[in-house]
Amino acid sequence: MQNVIDTANHIVAYAAKAARVQVIAAYPITPQTSIVERIAELVESGELNAEYIRVESEHSAMSACMGAAAGGVRTFTATSSHGLVLMHEALHWASGSRLPIVMPVVNRALGPGWNIWADFTDSMSQRDTGWIQFYCAENQEVFDTIIQVYKLCENERVLLPAMVCLEGFILSHTYMPVEIPDQEKIDDFLPPYKPKWFLDVNKPISHANIVSPEWYMEFRYMIQEAMENAKQLIPEIDKEYGKYFGFEHGGLIDKYKCEDADLILLTMGTIGSEAKIAVDNLRKEGLKVGTARVRVFRPFPREEIRKLAENAQMFAVIDRGISFGMEGFLAEETKASLSNQKDQPLIAGFIAGLGGRDVTFKTIEKIAKKSSEWMRAGKVGKETVWVDLRK
Amino acid sequence: MVVVPKTRKEMPVTALSVPTIGSAGKTGFWRDFKPVWVELVSPCTYDCPANNSIPKIFEKVRNGKLDEAAKIFLETNPFPSITGRVCPHLCERHCNRGEYDEIISIRSIERFLGDYVLKKKGERGFHEISAETGKKIAIIGSGPAGLSAAYYLRKIGHNVTIFESEKKLGGVLAYGIPPYRLPKQIVEKEVAALAKMGIKIKTGTAIGKGVTFEVIQKEFDVALLAIGAWKERDIGIPGEEFMMSGLEFLKEVNKGLREPPGMAVAVIGGGNVGIDVARTLKRLGAEPTILYRRTEKEMPAIDEEIQKAKEDGIEFRFLTQPVEASKRNGKIVLKCIKMRLGEPDATGRRRPIPIEGSEFTLEFDAVIKAVGERPDTTWIPRKFLNEKGWIKADPATGFVGENVFAAGDLVSGPATVVEAISAGRKTARSINQYLRGEEIKLEAPLEKPVKIEKINIEYYEPKERVKTFELPPEERTKSLDKEETLGVSLEEVESEADRCFSCGYCRSCRICWIFCPDSSIEIKDDSKPEFDYDYCKGCGICSNECPCGVITMQREEE
Repeated sequence: MQNVIDTANHIVAYAAKAARVQVIAAYPITPQTSIVERIAELVESGELNAEYIRVESEHSAMSACMGAAAGGVRTFTATSSHGLVLMHEALHWASGSRLPIVMPVVNRALGPGWNIWADFTDSMSQRDTGWIQFYCAENQEVFDTIIQVYKLCENERVLLPAMVCLEGFILSHTYMPVEIPDQEKIDDFLPPYKPKWFLDVNKPISHANIVSPEWYMEFRYMIQEAMENAKQLIPEIDKEYGKYFGFEHGGLIDKYKCEDADLILLTMGTIGSEAKIAVDNLRKEGLKVGTARVRVFRPFPREEIRKLAENAQMFAVIDRGISFGMEGFLAEETKASLSNQKDQPLIAGFIAGLGGRDVTFKTIEKIAKKSSEWMRAGKVGKETVWVDLRK
Repeated sequence: MVVVPKTRKEMPVTALSVPTIGSAGKTGFWRDFKPVWVELVSPCTYDCPANNSIPKIFEKVRNGKLDEAAKIFLETNPFPSITGRVCPHLCERHCNRGEYDEIISIRSIERFLGDYVLKKKGERGFHEISAETGKKIAIIGSGPAGLSAAYYLRKIGHNVTIFESEKKLGGVLAYGIPPYRLPKQIVEKEVAALAKMGIKIKTGTAIGKGVTFEVIQKEFDVALLAIGAWKERDIGIPGEEFMMSGLEFLKEVNKGLREPPGMAVAVIGGGNVGIDVARTLKRLGAEPTILYRRTEKEMPAIDEEIQKAKEDGIEFRFLTQPVEASKRNGKIVLKCIKMRLGEPDATGRRRPIPIEGSEFTLEFDAVIKAVGERPDTTWIPRKFLNEKGWIKADPATGFVGENVFAAGDLVSGPATVVEAISAGRKTARSINQYLRGEEIKLEAPLEKPVKIEKINIEYYEPKERVKTFELPPEERTKSLDKEETLGVSLEEVESEADRCFSCGYCRSCRICWIFCPDSSIEIKDDSKPEFDYDYCKGCGICSNECPCGVITMQREEE
């Protein structure tokens, strides 16, 4: 075991090394750059025995990863913001090809206005690509999730690619202590990738070929099935990881003081960490509040949301992103999950922290107080509140 | 690995060699249709009685390979110098280029190559002759059918002897077609080239007079009758004895006669002999009038010749039927009757019907009849003739009976030079089969020709048909011996070959290769494209782009 204090981006690089990735194809983009820089150094020094493919764009990076993954090796890339959206077309190919590629996404706002700071709009706009999506709250979770996700994605009941999302600068460039387990133990937890099929010139098969209407729907159905399987496997793998290494991250949803809470703050990413401080402070004031950090956005933990809703009177959903013309992504999915359910809690949506604006525990306390007012009144004052919006 | 799932459970996790459509290649299942390279029959080859491989010849011309072009010509037509001049060029009739701008001047290229061949003929190696077979073949008659058969039989290595009653070889080529259409030195050169091939020639030898046909049959392994149709038909009216025979007249002219039989000369008949006679008379200074019982539309002569006759200033009297000829004061008085057209007859032409009471008379210095010819079979043994006196020959193979074959006008009745040449070649083929003791079989009939829809005309620039230079009427009617149509230059030939759509024959343009989005086409040494079906997705772009229509999309078997 090794204790390090480093940025999440470097931790990502170490996780890739720990996972013994065999092919990396990536294109640098702020704030992801230091991931690929560090990996390049690891490959160069020989610490990581892998092929590093330099490419001219993110679309090519994903295409190269697909080729490598279809060749049967563990594959890695990382990107951010505009790089991710440029990849969009290839993302569908990767999931449709059922290739277990793992890709950290350092969340960054999309321009214009040109902005390099944290925002979930980049990865949220990829939610329908068939990729599994994890959102992390701190550097240790980033490391652990990458290891867990390879195990998840390579499981033959899943065989899907995954994004491990971490907010730009808030995590990517922030030093935190991280425990890196012994490589031997990691190898035990995450054995080498053994694909059931791969492209082999000696045994030629076609891959990702044309599929007529008689077959296409079944292939789509199997992706949905894999997502459902992943939903089952994620908590199991998280628990197994905990047994191995002592770290668990809540499976699909990281819940904090939700058991008796009337008001639950639904959050994602680092806002979830801040929300825990807010919860502690508000509890001191006598407010029965908890927070549930949605760790996995795809597959969406619909059943767990429903379970949380059973005892809560109100959900305050905080989104670092907006689906223009509707509302926050998490608020949308939460509401959708609760439809057709009896005794639904009140749900209020809060848009906060776009383009890297700070969302501190103080901001969250303000949100919680407003929500508890509405909860007592039995009516949500506003469907979506833009927090701290200038007049 | 071919997975044929029935249920979802049997399916692979993603699209891996899943047989959705088409058959499996190394890259899987993509195609409904696959491209196949199929040479198709061009309209020109189809319409040509000799089935000359015109697109193939033009491809060689485009590549500057004139020797090879000429050799392909000789495979189906040994005398392109002659057909290049006298053929009605049925090949041009349905040329697809005609639907785009103007039909290809196939005749210009044929004539050019024919003259080119004529210079080359006799050169060592140009006509390879197979090893001597020792089989003796007698060919009786040296018109286009006899000469064509002699050429092909000699090439195979047979011992060929031609018997000709006249002094010179050529038949209709030497004694029928007037020199302004076919200069006699052309025929002489062709004949000389045949002699160089080792064909024995016996001129001035009429079979049936000195030597009997039975002797020929006995002395030779095969006897081929190719005597043409030289007997003038009778009109069947009183006073026919005052008329000359058109064929005889042409024969005399070709032997040197340069005096017309009079100033005002009637020519009865609308066929090629009639037109040749009339135009010849004009060149000898006479004033001919063509009398024809139907209209211009029904005239059996080559249309171009009719037009030229009109340009020459020859008078036509249509719907005019002579009913009686008589002599008065050294002139011939023709009593004629006016005709009208009735219902179509067996030939498809409208039947002429006399108009009662419309008789009138015309006066001429001489009258030449040319109302049709038939073969003179009087000396041929009865057993080879039918009750009407025609030869009993299979019109396709030329086989008559015993060791006797027949070809040309003797079998078909009066036809074109190219038809006789074709008959000569086909009969030579039959004779060869007979000599080998094989069953006499026909060549496979040609498939239907390519339509313009198969051609990607986008690849062709509009371009005018090459113009052949014709002597103007006032000049050409002054001379019987001056050839009236001139040949074209090599540049013009190349331009015309370039205009050719090459219907159904690869132009080696490589457009398929350029367009194939999957690099699945390979072309080795300018030959036909080869498809790599492991990579071909069956998109059909090659077939669609092909400027010649040689790539056909074939449905994959289920």
